Amino acid sequence: MAKNDLIFDPPVMNVAGCLGFTPDVHGSMDWSELGAYVTNPISLTPRTPAHGKRYTAYPGGFVLHTGYPNPGFTQVLHRYARHWSRSPLPVIVHLLGRNAEEVAKMARRLENVEGVSGLEVSVVRDASADTVVAFTQAASGELPVITQLPMERSIELASEAIQAGALAVSLAPPRGIYPVPGGESIRGRLYGPSILPMALRVVHELSQLGIPTIGAGGVYSQEQKNAMLAAGALAVQLDGVLWLGAGYNLLA
Amino acid sequence: MEHAIGRVSEIRLGSGGHLEACISCPDGAIPAPGQYLLAYDLNDPDVVLSSLLFAVEKADQGFWATALLPTKWEPGAMHNLVGPFGRGFDLPHNIQRLGLVVLGETVSRLIPLVHLITQTHAGVTLFTDLSLPMLPVALEVYPLASLKDSLDWPDFMALDVPLEMLPEMRATFGLSDSAVLPCPAQVLVTAHMPCAGMAKCGACAVPARRGWKLVCEDGPVFDLKMLKW
Repeated sequence: MAKNDLIFDPPVMNVAGCLGFTPDVHGSMDWSELGAYVTNPISLTPRTPAHGKRYTAYPGGFVLHTGYPNPGFTQVLHRYARHWSRSPLPVIVHLLGRNAEEVAKMARRLENVEGVSGLEVSVVRDASADTVVAFTQAASGELPVITQLPMERSIELASEAIQAGALAVSLAPPRGIYPVPGGESIRGRLYGPSILPMALRVVHELSQLGIPTIGAGGVYSQEQKNAMLAAGALAVQLDGVLWLGAGYNLLA
Repeated sequence: MEHAIGRVSEIRLGSGGHLEACISCPDGAIPAPGQYLLAYDLNDPDVVLSSLLFAVEKADQGFWATALLPTKWEPGAMHNLVGPFGRGFDLPHNIQRLGLVVLGETVSRLIPLVHLITQTHAGVTLFTDLSLPMLPVALEVYPLASLKDSLDWPDFMALDVPLEMLPEMRATFGLSDSAVLPCPAQVLVTAHMPCAGMAKCGACAVPARRGWKLVCEDGPVFDLKMLKW
């Protein structure tokens, strides 16, 4: 993947946070079915798991609240960078910065790491347009940049990301709240087939605006993947279906 | 990690009152005590995530399985099986008195240990507050309240504890904050494991003496002394 090249063959990859920090070449995944691999979100400093209830299922999907735990940028490089250089497919590193300075610091370091083909940078769900611009510019340099936007606000923010240098935008899982036994509720990211209609609408509208979009959200079958591509996505990111073990075969 | 197809050949009411399924499958797919298997019904169009299965006992051509969450078992259903995953129980060979402690919703996941240990003529006692319609005859059962006065009986303990109940264990044992159990113990920590280790997503993270561990990858069975509880 060159600096201005976002061609994925096949046009399929994983959502950040769904397949770990490096492709597990000894696992069950047939990596030839993916055109790129996206790492778990990586922060400059270590993040510990979220407290409280972290998962609950509901009809058609599930809520996940994990805090994106990771050992921090330096430790991630120490543990996984050598594997990226031997990856059977392009590796896109997902950056989870608290501010643009953190994003820039990680991005510049990754430009000299063998095996990194691109960056995906995320913003918080209530990010301003200025933040989207700042984070995208901070990530931009020698590597192609994808800006991951909150799905619910992607139509509002996508133009700023592209103008700031992103080659494409991708869609972060929408967030929601679901009641759990005991009268409490869990807040977190939503996954599962119930997300698909919303994701398809967003991809369609972004496509109408001429925004290069990597679609994501609730794709669980080959037909659904094709529908997302037909809606205008240049590639599709898979999430929960990958956790069905051999579930990716559902798409094959 | 292996992939296999399993067929639900029989369904029964398990010892904890939960449904258990006999799954016909290759021997290599059968999880050891404490290990888990991912499974989903190949004909269920609404599948979102796999079920987590634990073995209760071996069957003629497969094993009896209990699911972490109530599962809609259909006789004859074909399931995609992936695994076994995780670290199971590793009992010392010289156990004379095994204490089983169940704080979760079923004793089924510890039943394989009963079958193992009774072959060596060791004694087994179960501490639980569950109502138990059916149990192996070799098993004596006491309420959890009696555990505090019985801690000097076992020379090894195996526990089944939901992740969210780990903070309650000291009170259950009647131990102060700094006290330790008088014998070695292993604990099967049950938790939702949506990614089953594929993502290190952190949904099943458990506090450990040093940082945290993932139930899906580092467990689900841990030496109790490794955990912060």
